[in-house]
Amino acid sequence: MRKKYGPLYVTPLTVWLAAFFVIPISIIVYYSFLTKRPATGGVIHQFSLEAYTALINPLIFRIALNTFWVACVSTVIMIALAIPTAYYMARSKYKNFFLLLVIIPFLTNFLIRIYAWMAILGNNGILNNALASIGLIDSHIQFLYNVNAVILLTVYTYLPFAILPLYSTIEKFDFSLLEAARDLGATKLTAMLRILFPNIRAGITTAVLFTFIPAFGNYAIPQIIGDAGSYMLGNVIARELTVTRNWPLASSLSVVLTTLTTLGVLLFMRFNRSATEGAAAMAAAAKRRQGMRAAI
Amino acid sequence: MKGSLVTIKNVEKSFGGFRALKGVSLEIKKGEFYSLLGPSGCGKTTLLRIIAGFEEPSAGAVLLDGRDMVPIPANRRPVNTIFQTYALFPHLTVFENVAFPLRLKKLPNATVKDKVQQFLELVKLPNEGKKLPAQLSGGQKQRVAIARALINEPSVLLLDEPLSALDAKLRQHMLIELDTIHDKIGITFIYVTHDQQEALSVSDRVAVMNEGEIVQIGTPFEIYESPTSPFVAHFIGETNYIIGAVTRLIDEVRVEIEFPEIGAVVAYRDKPLSVGDSVKMTIRPEKIRISTELPEGLSEKFNVLSGNVDEVIYSGFQSKFFVRMGERTMFRVFKQHVRYFMDEKAINWKDQVYIWWHYNDSFIVEVGET
Repeated sequence: MRKKYGPLYVTPLTVWLAAFFVIPISIIVYYSFLTKRPATGGVIHQFSLEAYTALINPLIFRIALNTFWVACVSTVIMIALAIPTAYYMARSKYKNFFLLLVIIPFLTNFLIRIYAWMAILGNNGILNNALASIGLIDSHIQFLYNVNAVILLTVYTYLPFAILPLYSTIEKFDFSLLEAARDLGATKLTAMLRILFPNIRAGITTAVLFTFIPAFGNYAIPQIIGDAGSYMLGNVIARELTVTRNWPLASSLSVVLTTLTTLGVLLFMRFNRSATEGAAAMAAAAKRRQGMRAAI
Repeated sequence: MKGSLVTIKNVEKSFGGFRALKGVSLEIKKGEFYSLLGPSGCGKTTLLRIIAGFEEPSAGAVLLDGRDMVPIPANRRPVNTIFQTYALFPHLTVFENVAFPLRLKKLPNATVKDKVQQFLELVKLPNEGKKLPAQLSGGQKQRVAIARALINEPSVLLLDEPLSALDAKLRQHMLIELDTIHDKIGITFIYVTHDQQEALSVSDRVAVMNEGEIVQIGTPFEIYESPTSPFVAHFIGETNYIIGAVTRLIDEVRVEIEFPEIGAVVAYRDKPLSVGDSVKMTIRPEKIRISTELPEGLSEKFNVLSGNVDEVIYSGFQSKFFVRMGERTMFRVFKQHVRYFMDEKAINWKDQVYIWWHYNDSFIVEVGET
């Protein structure tokens, strides 16, 4: 008898997903097959593949490669930083304190934090002034408005998303396994590589998905502190949507981006079967966020 | 001492302000089955971890075959450990778990295969190589852990409460198996346990530890039959204590002690005593006989007392009787059932009974001030 109410319980979620995920995505897909209204921009409700053929363009291809490259470099840096951090946190007596430290940045708005970084890295910023006052530099160093600044800020922004899933897997790891490996003749490094890493693979997978996807869909960071060399797909979409007003093109690019990311995630998960269902669910949520951001 | 393989010299270990080991010294012979026995927190596991190389002693030396082990890291010591939780690698098959030390040495595949098979056979798991640890029962996991720890052919095997996660029946079985493996391969075993039954049944020698110190070292027989302190007497098996005063030194081996509520009792005299000494005497409950009738023709070497049964605990193979001698004196007496209800009249609650024991079985564990 109790089972009868089952479908009722999922109704709120169904409504939520339909309203905020399925419908917007459908609109984007629909718009991508429409014709661009000339001159003023917007759409004419008339079928066209023009928006897709326009994507076959060396410039867009180059930007896509660049986006992929920046996302990859950022992800590698984040994982490399997050594993030792999460390991230390999990073994520390002050776990909860460190968790709090990781979460604290979320209490401040994302854009405000980026502007804070500009105050630090700017030509007349804190860092340049500090370096000049101790006589290390004569003129300022150009920290901002290049691809390195984009990578730095991407790493800064999404690092907690790498630390948290890694922390939760490492915390469950049985550290006596490392002692067993040492006991059986492994050096500290071998024990880490052959025992720790395979056993926290689920956490690494989740961390990669959580960081790569938002880094790939990056828009605000390159917009504010990037230059032409760090122009990313997210920026193209935003420009086509707001400046050029080529809505079909913005939509087709979003559709391709979302499809590629989804395929990539599925492929990646296939290679990492140990990734838990929980990780998959969280990855789907992250992907949804990314899809929405690209759509906005 | 010549012929000793492992020498522990005045080892100390402090964690913060806590002194886990307060100067421990041991000599373990080659091929010995040596147990470290004590209650939890006595420092036995810390000592084992120091021998394994997981902890560094704050002071003192650990010698293996005359070589100082302290500067040598865990992975280069000829010592392997069986962990309390087995610590099998969950992502590797049984075969790869056992092969792990050989893979580290980069031995050829064929050699690895042969050797792993040989050790899986030793622990009676020849066909489980392809399984993952999660697919094994507790006893099987234990066997894999044993095979993995032995495959490097260490000169010492360290066992950290290896049977504590198994149920009672299986524990008994694995204990016998461990003993068989020890006899077969002949290396030194250092066995940490808090279970006196385990320690007594398989060890060549036992070191009883308490609060970071060794309180007694001896064969299981010595530890049980002649504990040198009330702690050991109490920790190993059950015992009766009674405090009284020496009234007469009868001869070389006998002493008469006067106890309140009981009167005079003769005990074994194995330490210097003088009349008037306050002493703590111990007598094991299973060494005392009990009956409702006093048997005829008992030799004068037996102490005979009488009291009332306060409580009877029947536990199948034996019954435990609590016999009250007075307001503050009670004796525990264990009676083994040979032919229960057949060989004599049953003893019930509130019965008046006689208890008697050979003076030799009661001895003094502590001499206090007069």
